[in-house]
Amino acid sequence: MMPSSAELYPVNNFIGDLVRSIFQQPAAAVINGLLALLSLMALVGSLGAVLIFLERKVSAHFQLRFGPMRVGPHGLLQPLADGIKSIFKEIIKPAGADTFIFFLAPLLPVSAAFLVLAVIPFDHHLQVADPAGGVLYVLGISGLSILGILLAGWASNNKYSLLGAMRSGAQMVSFEISIALLMLLIVMLSGTASLRGIVLAQEGTIFDWWIFKLPFLGIVAFIMYLVASTAELNRTPFDIAEAESELTGGFATEYSGISFAMFFLGEFVNMFVAACLVTTFFLGGFHAPLFGLPVIDPLLNLIPGFLWFFAKAFLIVFLYMWFRWTFPRVRVDQLMYLEWKIMLPASLILLMLSGLFVAQGWVG
Amino acid sequence: MNDFLFYVIASAVALLSLLAVTLPNLLHGAIALVGSFFATAAIYIMLQMEFLALAQIALYVGGIVVFMLIIILLTNDLGVDNSLSRVSAGRQVGKGVIIAGFITALCLFFTSNPSLLLRTTEHRAAPVSIDEIGIRLLSTSNGFIVPFEVISLLLLAALVGAVVLSRRENKTEEKEKP
Repeated sequence: MMPSSAELYPVNNFIGDLVRSIFQQPAAAVINGLLALLSLMALVGSLGAVLIFLERKVSAHFQLRFGPMRVGPHGLLQPLADGIKSIFKEIIKPAGADTFIFFLAPLLPVSAAFLVLAVIPFDHHLQVADPAGGVLYVLGISGLSILGILLAGWASNNKYSLLGAMRSGAQMVSFEISIALLMLLIVMLSGTASLRGIVLAQEGTIFDWWIFKLPFLGIVAFIMYLVASTAELNRTPFDIAEAESELTGGFATEYSGISFAMFFLGEFVNMFVAACLVTTFFLGGFHAPLFGLPVIDPLLNLIPGFLWFFAKAFLIVFLYMWFRWTFPRVRVDQLMYLEWKIMLPASLILLMLSGLFVAQGWVG
Repeated sequence: MNDFLFYVIASAVALLSLLAVTLPNLLHGAIALVGSFFATAAIYIMLQMEFLALAQIALYVGGIVVFMLIIILLTNDLGVDNSLSRVSAGRQVGKGVIIAGFITALCLFFTSNPSLLLRTTEHRAAPVSIDEIGIRLLSTSNGFIVPFEVISLLLLAALVGAVVLSRRENKTEEKEKP
């Protein structure tokens, strides 16, 4: 007999209860909300540093180098040094650039990542908000990062930037269709569009996760989602938006100092957000990977859910990095071919087949 | 508290919408439009219409505005010399007087016939869940299955049309080659 989720993960919000015991009701609600936002900000800030360090180390080891080694042990303090450097660097605005948009654009991708992190269920009770249409919210907010890139490209008053932004916009808009269809698939299977509900629908052993629970199709959907989200993130092999050999730096060519760092931070935190979504949709979110074995399962359940969540998310992040340092970049036409002639029909067929599976009761 | 929040958001909607139509630079106008869409979504959330708010963000901010931006970016001579033609002060005042008169007439009409107003406080609409919307959309009785299917047919026609249009260009290119 499996213990119910309420027994496994009792409701204990220590900090929230403490705040409520000290302050009166209206003030306590405001303070708890502020604390949640503050912790999200801390998460975004620290994630940026961790992910940039990881990317440099992973790329170095893929290429038989050491990567940053000088600042701190094994170069651990390198992100800090980079951050301080970029803060003190001068921001050069090109002549004829639109000042307002030039400085607004770098903020949008980071805010998109921040806003999506607010609905990610890190653990049973570690979620800032759980809207009933969480999937829709995620889809809508990801439009903000497209907006940021388009605006940055235009505001820079530079042909390379504009070309990079247009490519990037077209790419993100087209791959969002596949992503939306695959999200719809998961919503159809789980019977709910709230991210927490999707995780709860995968409760049980490792074979109850959607990647395995949906026979054969689950793994196909997982791989397709990985490909589509890599394209959505503008990462190699789909980084034609900032193809160095053709477009210098793409939309970020004219950016320097902290504005450039914001783009970089947004890109990396968005990668983590995409990994979180993959974890939520396919890998059981905060559930421990149980195998239905008598002794090991309770031990695995002892480890808190958010550690499982972060472990899975960082595994996906490692996959993204692996892609980046293994595959060569595709051409623009190949990219569009992939989306409109392969991914889109494939995801439609997948959706119909899964509908058949659900209707026939072959799931699980 | 709720009333205060409503007035803040409503004035933000009004201000951003005004900016969207009056700013001389098209791109600045588009950004103001994004802001006003977000503020409208906030009003929907205050009215407990969560799905509508999310759909507003997903469709308008995530989809329509991005396409508008792409179109604006393809426009030549953006923001260089395209400020709106000046409207005389008399016309502005005239428009203001007409709108103010209209709103005053509306307010007077509804204060004298309050029974015509929607009674929002008496039976406030329960928060509509996504499941209910889906079932209502696809149910044959008391549902919207016919408009739903008609829309899907229209979209299919548009899709086929787009394919046909892009096909024709390819053919002419092939003919030119030999």
